[in-house]
Amino acid sequence: MKRKYDIDFLIEKFKKKDKIALARLITVVENDPETAPNIFNNFDNSKNDSYIIGITGSPGVGKSTLINSLVKILLKNGKSIGVISVDPTSPFSGGAFLGDRVRMTDVSLHPNIFIRSLASRGYKGGISRAVFDISLLYEAFGMDYIIIETVGVGQAEFEIYNLVYTTVVILVTGYGDSIQIQKAGIIEVGDVYVVNKKDFGGEDIVVQLEVMLDDATTQSGWRPPVLMTNSITGEGIETLIEKIEEHKEHLELSELLQEKKRNRYAYKIKELMYKKVEKIILEKLFSENEIHDIATSIINNKFQIYNTIHDRFKNVNFEIKKKEL
Amino acid sequence: MSKKIRVLISKPGIDGHWRGGVVVSRGLRDAGMEVIFGGFQNAEQIVESAISEDVDVIGLSIHSGAHLVYTERIINLLKERGVNEHFLILVGGVIPVKDFPRLKDMGVANVYGPGTIIADIIKFIEENINK
Repeated sequence: MKRKYDIDFLIEKFKKKDKIALARLITVVENDPETAPNIFNNFDNSKNDSYIIGITGSPGVGKSTLINSLVKILLKNGKSIGVISVDPTSPFSGGAFLGDRVRMTDVSLHPNIFIRSLASRGYKGGISRAVFDISLLYEAFGMDYIIIETVGVGQAEFEIYNLVYTTVVILVTGYGDSIQIQKAGIIEVGDVYVVNKKDFGGEDIVVQLEVMLDDATTQSGWRPPVLMTNSITGEGIETLIEKIEEHKEHLELSELLQEKKRNRYAYKIKELMYKKVEKIILEKLFSENEIHDIATSIINNKFQIYNTIHDRFKNVNFEIKKKEL
Repeated sequence: MSKKIRVLISKPGIDGHWRGGVVVSRGLRDAGMEVIFGGFQNAEQIVESAISEDVDVIGLSIHSGAHLVYTERIINLLKERGVNEHFLILVGGVIPVKDFPRLKDMGVANVYGPGTIIADIIKFIEENINK
């Protein structure tokens, strides 16, 4: 039984819109980012730009079900869509239970959709490291839209904001009072706000969101709309698509889309650069074992933690020669 | 680069027995595998999920008595797409022992009836993929 993938063969099939090849190339970039350049070198830069949408919110607010309803309409309008759904990896076993796709069974057989479930694999911020690379693959595949679903997030997991053009934040009734809505973090990154499960209520959340948004002192020319949906029945989903399209148009006309794109790549470039520097530090300066030893010595010296690290770096020569990179 | 074992657990058809698939999924999750829980799916949807998710293992949980019909249909669809050799196929549920050989003849790697120890499934998967 398998599994050594022949990249050149897969690229050839991928270019003929073969979904098996797409699926396997995703496996390659997810497991072995070092080979990503060998894959991406084969694609033409001018070819396709997908519009990238992020869907985020707490666990159980209905993100996957909402995506199911959303893509149903987009597919009907003749669009092609790549979905990336992330669920958390266990910090104990390294395993994961990926239960987003199960909400999208309805649409999964349509020829113009591709759905992939990802485990976060220790990556912070509610997404997975591979999200960026997979979205590049979807762009090369020619998708009109890419929808990225985060894990069920808390207040401070909003990395998704850096990777997409329109961020949809989903809440449900019971979110809390007006104090919760004033907090920084997830609640301020929305370009569109959705109060889902409207059959359970949530009008109070809508009012609090509207007030919070009216109080905003920073101006981008876009006042995020707040809508109510029922993602099971599809109620309100047409309006959600209209609002996403309006936001898209706003970004295009105001040239903010360029800024969003720059931000998206800057985010990834920084990550890739930090990764390289981190590797040098861990390989050349401190191994995991050494960090472990330092930590052991700190147990009875906790107030010296800053001094210890400072001293360790005193003797480090920071002149990095290029070949090490 | 260590690759995670990815497993699709699906229930072909519409029989309502949910627990078995969930319990096995949990066991595999706790063994460090990435389990895509497919829930109720028809044969076409299972094949599409297995391909899109590029799993190593397809686990079918069947309690309706339709294990022969469904398994054959799924394996035939995999053959049509030319990917039947790509996956380790396991079947579990209320399966009469006399049907085990027929399932294996179709291409199922192993069959698990009531009373199965999850550790055995884990061991079997770890020993039989990537070969």
